[in-house]
Amino acid sequence: MTFRVSRRNFVAGGATLLSLSALGTSALAQETRLRLLWWGSQPRADRTNKVSELYKAKNAGTTINGEFLGWADYWPRLATQVAGRNAPDIIQMDYRYIVEYARRGALAPLESYMPSKLQLEDFDPAQIEGGKVDGHLYGVSLGANSAATVVNAAAFKEAGIDIPTQKTTWEEFGKIGAEMTKAGKRKGYFGFADGSGVEPALENYLRQRGKALYTADSKIAFGPEEASEWFDMWAKFREAGACVTPDIQALYKDTIDTSPLTVGKAACDYAHSNQFVGYQAMVKDKLALTNYMRITPDSKGGHYRKPSMFFSVSAQSKVMDLAVDYVNFFVKNPDAAVILDVERGIPESKAMRDVVATKLDETGKVPLDYVAGLGDLAGPLPPPPPTGAGEGQLILRNIAEQVAFGQLTPSDGGKQLVTEITQILARG
Amino acid sequence: MSNAMRTPAGAINVERYQGAVAEGRFRRLWNANAPGYLFLLPWLVGFFGLTLGPALMSLYLSFTDYDMLQSPRWVGMANYVRIATADPKFSAAMHVTLTYVVFSVPFKLTFALLVAMALNRGLRGLPIYRAIFYLPSLLGGSVAIAVLWRQLFASDGLVNAALSHFGIEGPSWISHPSYSIYTLVALSVWQFGSPMIIFLAGLRQIPQDMYEAASLDGASKFRQFYKITLPLLTPVIFFNAVVQTIEAFKAFTPAFIISGGTGGPINSTLFYTLYLYQEAFGNFRMGYASALAWILVMIIAIFTAFSFLTSRYWVHYDD
Repeated sequence: MTFRVSRRNFVAGGATLLSLSALGTSALAQETRLRLLWWGSQPRADRTNKVSELYKAKNAGTTINGEFLGWADYWPRLATQVAGRNAPDIIQMDYRYIVEYARRGALAPLESYMPSKLQLEDFDPAQIEGGKVDGHLYGVSLGANSAATVVNAAAFKEAGIDIPTQKTTWEEFGKIGAEMTKAGKRKGYFGFADGSGVEPALENYLRQRGKALYTADSKIAFGPEEASEWFDMWAKFREAGACVTPDIQALYKDTIDTSPLTVGKAACDYAHSNQFVGYQAMVKDKLALTNYMRITPDSKGGHYRKPSMFFSVSAQSKVMDLAVDYVNFFVKNPDAAVILDVERGIPESKAMRDVVATKLDETGKVPLDYVAGLGDLAGPLPPPPPTGAGEGQLILRNIAEQVAFGQLTPSDGGKQLVTEITQILARG
Repeated sequence: MSNAMRTPAGAINVERYQGAVAEGRFRRLWNANAPGYLFLLPWLVGFFGLTLGPALMSLYLSFTDYDMLQSPRWVGMANYVRIATADPKFSAAMHVTLTYVVFSVPFKLTFALLVAMALNRGLRGLPIYRAIFYLPSLLGGSVAIAVLWRQLFASDGLVNAALSHFGIEGPSWISHPSYSIYTLVALSVWQFGSPMIIFLAGLRQIPQDMYEAASLDGASKFRQFYKITLPLLTPVIFFNAVVQTIEAFKAFTPAFIISGGTGGPINSTLFYTLYLYQEAFGNFRMGYASALAWILVMIIAIFTAFSFLTSRYWVHYDD
């Protein structure tokens, strides 16, 4: 048997294939198809998809492909898609990464759309500022939150101990924790989680001392003394049995479901206020929110209102106008605001905040009241973390573990932390 | 064409003639083999597009600084120099990986061989046992395994509950930097399915009459194993050892899932490939990660070459 493909057939076949592939990308479809990528859990996805449905209903002919992943898988996927020139049109962006993506030209500057398509007049100006890199707006904040201590109020009540207040110092917190552990109402239960490797907790501590994690020009903004004191404080908590043992803390994987509080090992954990809804959904006991402790009764300014996450538009997007319109709808449409609730943080737009406030349930009100009531605990928004900050967070956790497991003294830990972070920043 | 114009007429004819012959032969070869090549096409596309192409690309990238968002910048040997001289995490990862290879491969193979021998004794319902023992290998690095391992090896897990009956208070095996790597070794040994199946096939090849002759001569079971089974099985052992060693060097998923991608506590489960992944996708250093990948290729190549070189002293292919 012979098998022949004549040149004519080959060309004809190729042409058919070409025209078939062209069908999928006709100009008409291009103009109204929007791709959306975010990280988060299923409840967030449900809310987001509902808003997309609403948008489609009001803008006939638009198709929206939404996709979501967990935090850890999200960044590799996004980096690969951007590198492959296949970035989604709308990207959920974090404060940590916005500088990296903006400086490398992956995001579109949005200020030229204001105020015609992007109406952010009733946003807190400081929060708009948070989405800017080198003077250009690269992200629209989807909500505000602040670092917070999540407290198992029921466990405290059981043990007959008062939960920490806005005035509680770290020293007092250590005593409360040790008491809680000693009360022994629950098996293998400790006062609080080990926060020595939790970056927002260290940042809060540094800010109360007038320092910070990073300077605006991408340098380290604290010294070995502060870091050593931090590790030393936690070593004392560990010794007193106030916080969980290092091997329990090591099982925590930066997700709500692996938190020592969620798995029933500790009465307090460190998180962000918008995560409260998630914690309460997983823990049967009644939870409460309070601030991070003060170093001295009069130290202040450790907290700040953090833009929890942004929507950015890809610089590669072919439907820029549509993408900006969707983002504006997301943060300014009252029906969308009701659907989104405070799951991504408290709405930045004052009008939307008012809409949401009337509809919130009891759990949703907790973070809203918490962020509103920070008072003198809140200071200015720090500059966005520099390139390499993601690695800095891993280094902090690593060294905190070395101190906790007794492989490093607190003072050597402090020195090593500063040395390693300095090296990372120099490498860029 | 312009060349042909200037050459004498005879030469043109010869060229044309040769051309025609070559063309004819090509055509005949093509006609005879075209279906074969067409059937091979998916594989060829896969090999060149998904294996060779990316491999060459990564070789190029290993000499560059590439953050995936901007175009790569040539830096020469800088990445390799840094790996060799100034990267403590590289040596940490290498140490973890070598520990894993050294412990997991021999234990896994021994275990697989023991189970294969037990299954080789003509059990009833053998296919069911085979399937059951193979199951852990299929589960691989799923999230369910991570949860299961935590239930087993956490401080309040099943292992410590069992130990407490003997008055021993165990640590949290899975989250203590001194022990966590061994829980991953245990996971690897538990997934002994594929070498077991190959051992089983190898055992089936050994003629039964050898054992019969040996037992007539009064050889003990242990002596039979030592003098008959083991020597005749060496080609299969060799194959399994090489394959499993390469697999162990490439191990990624269990550590990724159990440590949540951090390689913690304190880098104790920072497998080489996990570090490579962190550098590439976590820290936007694709060029550096490519260099790490090529170092791994070289290490695996050296190990494999070494195995082949020593194999002639202990692998017997004679019947």
